[in-house]
Amino acid sequence: MFKGVVRSSCFLLCALVAPLQAHSFSVRVVDAKGQPVVGAVLSLAGQAHSKPADVAVMDQVGMQFQPAVLAVATGTAVSFPNSDDIRHQVYSFSPAKRFELRLYEGTPSEPVTFDKPGVAVVGCNIHDWMLGYVYITEDPRFGVSDSQGRIELSAPAGQYPSTLWHPALVDMQPMDAGTLLLGAEPVELTLPVAITDPLQPSAPAPSPFADAFRKAARDAQP
Amino acid sequence: MTRSLSFHARLSCILAAFLLVVIATLYFSVRLVTEAAVTDQAADRLESGLRVFERLLDMRGRQLRDGVQVLAADFGFKDAVASGDTLTLQSAMANQAARINASEAMLLDLNGKVLASSLSNTRPGDTFRYADKLQEARQQGLTMLVVSLDRQAHLMVESEVRAPLPIARVVMGFAMDRALADELKQLTGLDVSFLAREGESKGELVTTLGPGTRDELIDGWSRHDHANGIEVLSLGGERYLNEDIVLSKGTSFSVIALVHSSLDKALAGFHQVDSRVLLIAVVGLIASLVGALLLARSLSEPVNALARAAERVGRGDYQTPIELDRGDELGSLATALNQMQRGIAEREQLIAHNMLHDDVTGLPNRSLVAELLANAIEAGRTTAVLHIGIGNLAGVQDSGGSEGVDQALRELAQRLQASLQPGDHLARILTDEFLLIVSDTSADNAFSAAVAVQQALALPVRVAELEMRIEAHIGVAGYPDDAGNVDELLRRARIAMQDAAQMPDGLQLYQHGRDDAHQRQITLIRDLRRAAQVGGLHLHFQPKVDLEHGRVYQAEALLRWNHPLYGMVSPGEFIPLAERTGSIQLLTTWVIEAVLRQLHLWNGRGLYMEVSLNISAEDLTSLTLEQRVGELLQRYVIPGGQLVFEITESAMMRDPERALTMLHRLRTLGIRLSVDDFGTGYSSLAQLRRMPVQELKIDQSFIRELDDTCSDAVIVRSTIDMSHALGLKVVAEGVEHGETRDLLRAWGCDTLQGYFFSRPLPADAFEAWLKQQPHLTARPIKEHS
Repeated sequence: MFKGVVRSSCFLLCALVAPLQAHSFSVRVVDAKGQPVVGAVLSLAGQAHSKPADVAVMDQVGMQFQPAVLAVATGTAVSFPNSDDIRHQVYSFSPAKRFELRLYEGTPSEPVTFDKPGVAVVGCNIHDWMLGYVYITEDPRFGVSDSQGRIELSAPAGQYPSTLWHPALVDMQPMDAGTLLLGAEPVELTLPVAITDPLQPSAPAPSPFADAFRKAARDAQP
Repeated sequence: MTRSLSFHARLSCILAAFLLVVIATLYFSVRLVTEAAVTDQAADRLESGLRVFERLLDMRGRQLRDGVQVLAADFGFKDAVASGDTLTLQSAMANQAARINASEAMLLDLNGKVLASSLSNTRPGDTFRYADKLQEARQQGLTMLVVSLDRQAHLMVESEVRAPLPIARVVMGFAMDRALADELKQLTGLDVSFLAREGESKGELVTTLGPGTRDELIDGWSRHDHANGIEVLSLGGERYLNEDIVLSKGTSFSVIALVHSSLDKALAGFHQVDSRVLLIAVVGLIASLVGALLLARSLSEPVNALARAAERVGRGDYQTPIELDRGDELGSLATALNQMQRGIAEREQLIAHNMLHDDVTGLPNRSLVAELLANAIEAGRTTAVLHIGIGNLAGVQDSGGSEGVDQALRELAQRLQASLQPGDHLARILTDEFLLIVSDTSADNAFSAAVAVQQALALPVRVAELEMRIEAHIGVAGYPDDAGNVDELLRRARIAMQDAAQMPDGLQLYQHGRDDAHQRQITLIRDLRRAAQVGGLHLHFQPKVDLEHGRVYQAEALLRWNHPLYGMVSPGEFIPLAERTGSIQLLTTWVIEAVLRQLHLWNGRGLYMEVSLNISAEDLTSLTLEQRVGELLQRYVIPGGQLVFEITESAMMRDPERALTMLHRLRTLGIRLSVDDFGTGYSSLAQLRRMPVQELKIDQSFIRELDDTCSDAVIVRSTIDMSHALGLKVVAEGVEHGETRDLLRAWGCDTLQGYFFSRPLPADAFEAWLKQQPHLTARPIKEHS
């Protein structure tokens, strides 16, 4: 309930700002085979016209990080709430941000502040398959592609040097996407790799053990 | 014994050899089957052992992998890897390696470069040579990889270190050393070897087998690196069944695992069975041998018994029966032999009977009766022998044939047997002669028995519807009066029988001396045949006086025989014997030659003589007489007219036709013929007329006692007259008195011969006599016409 309030307030904030200063543009990202790419991060260089959001959220739902790719501005504190009824232990050994959130349930006490640009690969020490990426950028405007490969950006029309990043890129290094002309023309960017794997490994099929545990727990309830 | 022993041995040997073959075949079959089964079993064990081996190895790999995964998943380890905290991660790896008994551990980056390693010869920054292979194996889902490190086989596993993306690879190795091999051996029950090769080197071996097998194994497997399946190989002097499996193979290395199962050990368990089978075989063989010997003996003993029985039969023992109480073929053989024995006994008895008995009448024969007599004589018992001769069997033969003869003989034998007293014996010794032995009786006393026998035999015999009368003559001789032994007794009885034939009543007791005369005759007959050759024969000459001229120019040659044993034998005795036994021709030939030789001498001395000699009936019927005489006349150059052949009436009349022919032939030689002993036969002068005779010689029985008054005078006178009428000269012999000479001269007799003038003299004495008779001087004259 609390989480939902936080998120909606964020949207609300954006919606309030955009009509005043900028237009909203949509950029589409496809891979080498022309398929829409999900989880690609596009950032536009430029003067920061607004203070970045204080807190970003990477939730854990159904033993997956949600969202899988989170783009944040440098210095943003990211909260890793736990929406599952089991514990997680979120960590990252990435040079951009090393941290470890001990086993917890619900929202950990402290959000993690990502104070260096880069990529932090986030995992859970309990569930090896859980994989999340926090992309930390100095750029003021950025967005993450949805399942349709679309990135909604809010910026005044004009030309912007841009950077594109995706986990499938070689060595996970961000690539220069050239200068984007945001105006009347729709923009489509192409990632130079073919995406074969899903962004996140799927959770393993429920094992008989897990089922047994779950059933036992349910039966135990009055 | 040798034969039966060899048969015995042979049978035993054959049976033993047969059993030996059977048992040996059995034994070796069992061995072969056992060995094949054991080998199969060992191969099965090897197969299953190999599967266990693979499972164990796989399990070991999983354990290792799990250990590595535990390490790779450790958050602290990940932290250390991520942060590049080399000391920490080294200690962590060492710790985990020790925990899971890994022999080496290393950390590789995602490109295979060594980040940290427990291997002494591997430095950080080097690329681990098996990094790619390990990754490949992991991606193929293999638990582990077997590699060769420092020429030792190692199990290697790797695991990614994820945070959560892969950031490094942890690799741990497990040396496949002797300890592992021992453990595997313990679990599989098989000997285990690992052979690791790198490059061109021969490879290093880890084995649970003894040290002696190392080189053989390395040599055996270093040449190939693929699985061979099951092979039998001799290792360290022991036979092993081997199977290999290639655990891994790369361009520059290979690791082969071998499992070995000792065939010899597997077979060792069966060696006991083997030796038992051998023991059973040997015991069986010995038992069979004993059985074979017993069987052979059970066969050879009765065969020996039968052989002994056959020998007994061969020796003539037909009484001892063959005792062989068996129901089998040998029993049948014994029965058959017994039957044969009886058969032989019966037949031999029959043969013996036939040998001692006559087959027509069934009476004992001469041999048997001789034996009986011998027994009696030996016992000194007085015994009489009746020798019975049947006179006219030839007549029976003519009427009734051989069958009739046999019938008659059987009839006679029955009658004779009917007359036997107890203790008497009857035998048939020749076709027509029987012997009757009368015991305890002298010859004289047996005479009455002879009479009875003769009477019994005198009854007519019926032969072929004819009644025939049998003439029997019986001679009787007795022991000890007439003879001292069997031969003598039988011979004398026979002589008596021959004498009896001359008796009117046909009965004769043996006369003493008869046997000696008989013996003399036999000797003379025998010696007569040789007399002409061996000498002893010589001639005497008796002058014949010619009354007309008062001269002597004729003589009769008379044969004389000086026998070496009996001295002078009279012609009256030996001439009839010679005539009877066919020797007369020899004598005649001798006489003719001797006469001619003498005439040749006399002729040479100017003494002319005409010599007459006697020619027998046999000479006359001989076809060669004329030829012989002709040759001799030529040889001695004597005219036939100097010879006169005197031939008796009866000789001429025996076969008048042949005699006539011969006489005519003799006449052609110039020989004159004279009828000798005229008046003793029954011939008539009419018959004589047909004969070419020139002279007639009146028998001396008419002349010797001649006087004017007796009836002989008429005969002599008329004979002389009739002879003269027929143109025959008349000779009278046996003139002994002057009166006789005068009478004959008065009656006109031509020539006289007799003791009145001279007895027969040897040739020289005859010559001397001639010289002393001047009035009768013989002088040569021309041949008498």
